[in-house]
Amino acid sequence: MIKITAQTKTLIFIGTGGVGKTTLAASMGVGFASQGKKVLVLTIDPSKRLAQALGIQMDGDPHKVFLGKNNSGGELWACVVNHQKTFEYFIRHAASQFSEGKKVSEEKLAQLLDNKLYHQLSGRLSGSQEFTSLITLNRYVTSGEYDLVILDTPPSQHTWNFLRAPEKISALFNEGIAKWFREADGVSTSLLKKIVNIGTSQVLKALELLTGSQFIKELSAFFQAIQKWQRPLEEYILNCHRLLISAQTEFVLVTALDPSRLIEAQKLSREIRTQGYKLTTVVINRVPAWLSTKISTDSPRVQNLISYYQGLENDLQERLTQFKNQLKVYKCYELRQNTEDVASLQKNFDELVSLN
Amino acid sequence: MVKKAHFITGKGGVGKSLISAVLARYLSQYEQNRKDKILLAELNEHSFFQDYLNLKRISYKPINWVSGVDISQWSPQECLKEYALHLLKVETLYKLFFENPVSRSLIQVAPGLEELALLGKVTSSPRSHGPAMSYDQLVIDSFATGHFLSLFRAPAAMAEAIQFGPMGEQSRGIDQWIRNPEFTHLHIVTLAEELPITEAIELYQTLKSEFGLVAHIYLNKMTGLTKSDLEKLKPDVAEVMTALIENEKMAVKKLMDAKIKFIELPLINSLESNTLINELALVLENKKVRP
Repeated sequence: MIKITAQTKTLIFIGTGGVGKTTLAASMGVGFASQGKKVLVLTIDPSKRLAQALGIQMDGDPHKVFLGKNNSGGELWACVVNHQKTFEYFIRHAASQFSEGKKVSEEKLAQLLDNKLYHQLSGRLSGSQEFTSLITLNRYVTSGEYDLVILDTPPSQHTWNFLRAPEKISALFNEGIAKWFREADGVSTSLLKKIVNIGTSQVLKALELLTGSQFIKELSAFFQAIQKWQRPLEEYILNCHRLLISAQTEFVLVTALDPSRLIEAQKLSREIRTQGYKLTTVVINRVPAWLSTKISTDSPRVQNLISYYQGLENDLQERLTQFKNQLKVYKCYELRQNTEDVASLQKNFDELVSLN
Repeated sequence: MVKKAHFITGKGGVGKSLISAVLARYLSQYEQNRKDKILLAELNEHSFFQDYLNLKRISYKPINWVSGVDISQWSPQECLKEYALHLLKVETLYKLFFENPVSRSLIQVAPGLEELALLGKVTSSPRSHGPAMSYDQLVIDSFATGHFLSLFRAPAAMAEAIQFGPMGEQSRGIDQWIRNPEFTHLHIVTLAEELPITEAIELYQTLKSEFGLVAHIYLNKMTGLTKSDLEKLKPDVAEVMTALIENEKMAVKKLMDAKIKFIELPLINSLESNTLINELALVLENKKVRP
């Protein structure tokens, strides 16, 4: 049966899109809450149905889910990650850390929050969704308010985008890069510094040739704005990374009954383990339950379908031995897709924990 | 000279990569312009086609897959690098810039730059900007729905933020071409299940209203089962298959209600990639699909 260790405080569902991570995460949330834990489920893009089932609100704050009759003392909370709000939280949090209780200068904050590039970073453009879900995760895990926080990772092509988010984004707040732009507009005066900066200014010239001076201006404005809070911002990102590799964080890899998905999952599980993340469980989701029974039919179409799934099952069996070497692998039958209420999520959970 | 760019998108797990390969194969084999050279480009960080098609290392430099079709894997960094080298021309300057760890990380995080680099590469032929590409059509195995929309919105957003200078200019040019229905062709893959169908219809409508582009929709893995197929089946199996039939009916109805034309692709009973691709390409030919 699927279980997590008692010390686990964070459970992260990873896997490619369309494998049912969100439903699994929600089911686990309902299940652990019914066992008496105070659980928070973080998700990015819940289906309308699931949002209705859990009474999820899209305002980016955790809301308590009504669990019906529940004598365990557990609670379920759900939160949809809000990109823009999270970014602002991140900046404000770092700013307040820095000022150590003193009032944060709203003017300085506004400078950054109004920067055009900041707008793009926190707004319409892609790539930082992974980062904001990680910040949200770190925020609620460290708040200590929950026994367990479950994260349903964004539907990215590859889980690496998520795991590398801290590394990638920290480059933005990296001392070296910021220095570059702060000194780009000729503030620095010492001769020695000027000589050292020749290389840098060449690079900036190249960048300017490619992008134009307005872009450079915006960039340096951006870096000047974050200069003050750079250390705490960097520290926060580092903490996010620490959370991912913490012994109290467990990963669950979700995949589907499909050869190419399984190959991807195999590769991923190998890599992720060598990088030091704690991956113990693999769920092969949505395996048709009727495969295990013998079916007789006259219909060539049904025959075709059965033999297709039989082929998938045989392929899976061949791969399972390699998988099972180091990981616990569970075959999960098609769960109720119509998750319109908490009761069906609870049933999903009961089925999940009874898997072999 | 690239005349057309095909983008394949849809929810995760609907078969985007497979349909991209099918489309590339179909365009090279069956279309009237049979002499066209096709480039199948994947935007994955880790190549999907390398394992799936059992090819040698796939990288930025195209390699041949089947007659008339080459494959390559585009990373934003490589696209940008190629473009920069083309523009800067001075090798040392370019080296100074790209082999500098600081600028490397800058490129990774500067918002919008990666999107611009990818779309800049796609539209380089019609904009006559950047290194020439010797393909007639591009088939791009693109990102899933949300990420795809951000990709397409990036040039306009960038043009708005950076109005002057080469970057603004380029962004406007790229934006113009991705909105050109002669050049840009969109393909949304979906399955007969509630979530993918809803997402596909919303994406279709968004792309139409925001970019003026009408996407082709492919309803993938249709079993075509009917009630009469279920006679003699045990009740539990029949129940599952009834749900399948209902889902397929629901998908067709939702698409028709939204007045969206779509192409049904049958479930092919094979796990062998080349068989799958060839059979599905044949389906497109029989349906006389003209993307």
